[in-house]
Amino acid sequence: MDIRQLNFAYVPKSGQLQLHEIDCRIPEGKITTIIGPNGCGKSTLLGVMSQNYKPTGGEVILDGKDIAKYKAKELAKKLAVVHQQNEAPPDMTVEQLVRLGRMAHKGLLSPQTDADEEAIEWAIASTNLLPKRSLPLEQLSGGEKQRAWIAMALAQRTPMLFLDEPTTFLDIYYQIEVLELVRELNASHGLTIVMVLHDMNQAIRYSDQLVVMKDGRICHQGTPRDIMTAELIQTVYGVKAIVREEENAGLNVVAIGI
Amino acid sequence: MKNKKGWSLWGVLALLAGVAIYSACTGSIKVSGLELLKGLIDGENKQVEVIRDLRFPRIIVSMLVGAALAVSGVLLQAVMRSSLADAGVIGISSGAGFVSILIVSLFPNWFFWMPLISCIGGGLACLLVFSFAWKSGLHPIRILLVGIAVNATFSGLGQSFNYRGSYAVTSINQAVTSIFTMKNWGDVRIMLIYGSIGLLLALLVSPWCNLLALQDKSAKNAGLHVHRARFIISGIAVLLAAVATAVGGLIVFVGLLVPHIARLLVGSDHRILIPFSALGGALLILTADTIGRTVLAPAEIPASIIMAVIGGPFLIFMLRRSDRIHGH
Repeated sequence: MDIRQLNFAYVPKSGQLQLHEIDCRIPEGKITTIIGPNGCGKSTLLGVMSQNYKPTGGEVILDGKDIAKYKAKELAKKLAVVHQQNEAPPDMTVEQLVRLGRMAHKGLLSPQTDADEEAIEWAIASTNLLPKRSLPLEQLSGGEKQRAWIAMALAQRTPMLFLDEPTTFLDIYYQIEVLELVRELNASHGLTIVMVLHDMNQAIRYSDQLVVMKDGRICHQGTPRDIMTAELIQTVYGVKAIVREEENAGLNVVAIGI
Repeated sequence: MKNKKGWSLWGVLALLAGVAIYSACTGSIKVSGLELLKGLIDGENKQVEVIRDLRFPRIIVSMLVGAALAVSGVLLQAVMRSSLADAGVIGISSGAGFVSILIVSLFPNWFFWMPLISCIGGGLACLLVFSFAWKSGLHPIRILLVGIAVNATFSGLGQSFNYRGSYAVTSINQAVTSIFTMKNWGDVRIMLIYGSIGLLLALLVSPWCNLLALQDKSAKNAGLHVHRARFIISGIAVLLAAVATAVGGLIVFVGLLVPHIARLLVGSDHRILIPFSALGGALLILTADTIGRTVLAPAEIPASIIMAVIGGPFLIFMLRRSDRIHGH
């Protein structure tokens, strides 16, 4: 996916741009993570990349075609999105939810196919929800719920998966669980992943490429090792930090003051 | 869970059959079930003939009207993401009612096309509610408020026909107050054709309704053309409500009451909710109509009045409940 000269404003013509001249390339088969301080536009960028917001300028090219030109169904076969906050009827079961992910692959009159069943089985199995598949969502824990939404996105069988702050409302155990799942999906199925994360260290640990944003612009992009410096953290977050490499913990950041 | 759904389905079917048979046998002419059956087969019982010509159409029409209104409620609730939407409450029925009175007065012989024409009125009301209630998303209470205003306007317009003082008006009056008294097989035919088209279409779009229960962005990213789906589903809801109003008159609260109870019994999966609500709506209106024509016989209480009396308190109950759920 190529993002070219992208501008975006919530209120067009207001002159208040939320995204300025974004140029970015999402490498195939890699995990790309967008980070930055609150309000820097990272979720907005993901929203424009998944066509939930229409850009006011520039374009997002997917497989040689502007995503604005895709039909909803076509696009849903190329990329799936897990949103930060989700709503569903509380009595909907995991399997019913995952089944909704197959919408893009069939018309209203076409019957359930083997491909549908296979995709649903695979999605439920790879998110470790087999024992919970017929439980209603209201009976799941926060982490399980998040996995159920990931499973719905997986059932779309897309080469790309977007996740908007997938760990935000979860305990640390479930945060790691979700991130490990994402890494596993990337490693064993070659899924191209773009996610927005809050935690710098999680972003460093689980990403091949980082996109760092500030005030609606991309200020740095590259591998964590190449771009993560104390200087970057000072300018982007306004925080004094130490960036260090440790034998067990790998590259990590410790904030020490402001 | 599976069992509860199964029992609910068989329960409502059995009740519906029971009430239908009871309804066929009671009234100003009373026959026993056996006499009725025998009369229907050999055609020698004069009383059964009368029942077949007058009471059967009434029973069938009231069931179909109930089914159509209940399903129209389910669809509107899916589209507006609010369990408080009902074709009667938000003015779609009165919009359809008004247009159908207008057309009946101007072109009395367009009888068969009436339901389709009254769709225009229902569609207009629906469009008004949507456009005024839409403010970066749909808010349940705002839909209700705008709907009440739209409803008042169209009801007023409809009722103004009653006060023109001409003789023709009395025959039109039924379109606004709903009495199932004079239904014949012609009404059954209209209701069957348009009603079953509407119900089939509703079943067909039930997967869309399920997706709309998520957020719009989730539905969109799953491949649903959200605006188009909303438009089509609303269209089907309007068709059902308009047909029901054109044939059965203005009945409110059916689309509120039935889907709510149906959700408690069979859950929120529209593939089951829609057919179950259809059965529930049929049962409700048939029961209301049967009670209405038997308790004070020979006088009749219209089903619409019974529904208004039950439905009003129920709406208050649901408003209180939704307060608790949404917390505002």
